[in-house]
Amino acid sequence: MPKLSVRNLTKRFPVSGGPSMTALDGVDLDVEEGEFIAFVGPSGCGKTTLLRIIQGLETATSGEIRIDGKPVTGPGHDRGFVFQQYGLLPWLTAAQNIGFALEAKGIPAARHGETTERVLATVGLKGFGDRFPHQLSGGMQQRVGIARALAIEPEIMLLDEPFGALDALTREILQNEMLGLTERMGKTILFVTHSVDEAVCLADRVVVMSPRPGRIREIVPIDIPRPRASLGEALRDTPEYVAKRHQLWTQLMDLV
Amino acid sequence: MQRSAQASAVSKSAGEPEAASDPNRQRRRERLLQIGTLVLLLAVWEFAARDANKLLVAVPSDIAVATWELLLNGELLSATLDSMSTFVLGFVIASIIGIVVGFAMGTNRTVEVILDPYINALYAMPLVALIPILMLWVGIGFLAKITIIILFAVFPVIINTVTGVKNVDRHYLDIGKAFMASRFMVYRQIIAPYALPYVASGLRIALGRGIIAMIVAEFLTSISGLGGLIINYTNAFETAKAFAPVLVVALLANALTVLVQKVEERFGRWRRR
Ligand SMILES: Nc1ncnc2c1ncn2[C@@H]1O[C@H](COP(=O)(O)OP(=O)(O)O)[C@@H](O)[C@H]1O
Ligand SMILES: [Mg+2]
Repeated sequence: MPKLSVRNLTKRFPVSGGPSMTALDGVDLDVEEGEFIAFVGPSGCGKTTLLRIIQGLETATSGEIRIDGKPVTGPGHDRGFVFQQYGLLPWLTAAQNIGFALEAKGIPAARHGETTERVLATVGLKGFGDRFPHQLSGGMQQRVGIARALAIEPEIMLLDEPFGALDALTREILQNEMLGLTERMGKTILFVTHSVDEAVCLADRVVVMSPRPGRIREIVPIDIPRPRASLGEALRDTPEYVAKRHQLWTQLMDLV
Repeated sequence: MQRSAQASAVSKSAGEPEAASDPNRQRRRERLLQIGTLVLLLAVWEFAARDANKLLVAVPSDIAVATWELLLNGELLSATLDSMSTFVLGFVIASIIGIVVGFAMGTNRTVEVILDPYINALYAMPLVALIPILMLWVGIGFLAKITIIILFAVFPVIINTVTGVKNVDRHYLDIGKAFMASRFMVYRQIIAPYALPYVASGLRIALGRGIIAMIVAEFLTSISGLGGLIINYTNAFETAKAFAPVLVVALLANALTVLVQKVEERFGRWRRR
């Protein structure tokens, strides 16, 4: 049984004074436990909407989501979400932002400190717990967002363009860290990106989506052996990487 | 060689006193300008009113003497305490009612639909018109004053709280939803902090209106407190003494505004400076 299965998922948004807008149309996807799935596609093809429905932030117009075979009806602590932007509460420190998720999960306050320190260390932010978001760089803020999702120990992580707003260098550093992190933890991960490079580096399979209406165009397996983190820059020189990057790039070019 | 030149350049720019004190000096000059203007104004007042009827016009020196007298005999202090205790109680009650009602309206559409027309109408109307009728109901004592202060102060707090609560960024509510925060957590850790600056500016408006209400109430109901002093000394044609409580009211209003600002800053530390 797949860890996550998406069946015939459709989402229509009402449009005032016009026909409704179909953001997702008949999306089908099975994700195995421990798999890393990347979603790419032109903006407006429904990537965010799909992730939000899986998280339970949005309800589908029709279709079904199952986790371990059980239908999903709303948000759950089995899923950890990382937002693209505005993902931290600006009036809480980094540690308090993580504590927020722990408190929401019902974990006693006495255990927050230990967990918070552990996840902050995991994302390389040891000692930054008492900083407010505006005292952290964009990359550090996203790390806090990832740390918070890790803190609740979800079975599935959902990341919506987590590095989308970052500069190229920070982005590449975080990509490499993400690779190490996910390969160590082996969690099931759904990762939206607009970077083909990022998708090929990180994913086991890349889902290519097309807009109007949002559909899955193709699912491309990436057969670069793991662990890839140890390859470093050499990863980008492997024939599989070069070939898949080219294939995805061409496909995306056809879509826009 | 090059290195030492660099080092000295750095130490010069870091410790340069002229550059650092420039804005300070500018500020001192501006302050001096303001004080100078005030002195000039007082002097013009003093000399222009020298020969006017003492019963109608007071000059600054007389006001200073009168204020000193009222301070010594304790009249000013007891009137200030009288006014302030009423004001503070009324303001605190108005703030609590305002925040609670504002929160209820901002988070519950039904409550908002029911209350909104009355609150807007009462906020816009000149509430002074209600005071005589109010006195029929609650008399002219302490209760009347508190009621009048609350009535004047509560609406800006309600309206601003509603605005803040309803404006909460959807992104922040999504965080609460994604991590399954309880309703109480969402209120306390998302909506309340977001609405705080709105509430604070409501409180500042309420402060000004509350002080007006206090003085008006002291004029119209039982003549007491600072407003009472103003009325009594004006009626007795002791104009200089009537100015002393006016001075105190002005100082208090400004001091309280600064206090509210400080509280707001204390709770708004997380914002970008
Ligand atoms: N809340 C909403 N109301 C109306 N339309 C929406 C809403 N959210 C998304 N859409 C529309 O749905 C489509 C898919 O959006 P989105 O999922 O954000 O795409 P992506 O993340 O791939 O860029 C877009 O055309 C967008 O305008
Ligand atoms: Mg998106």
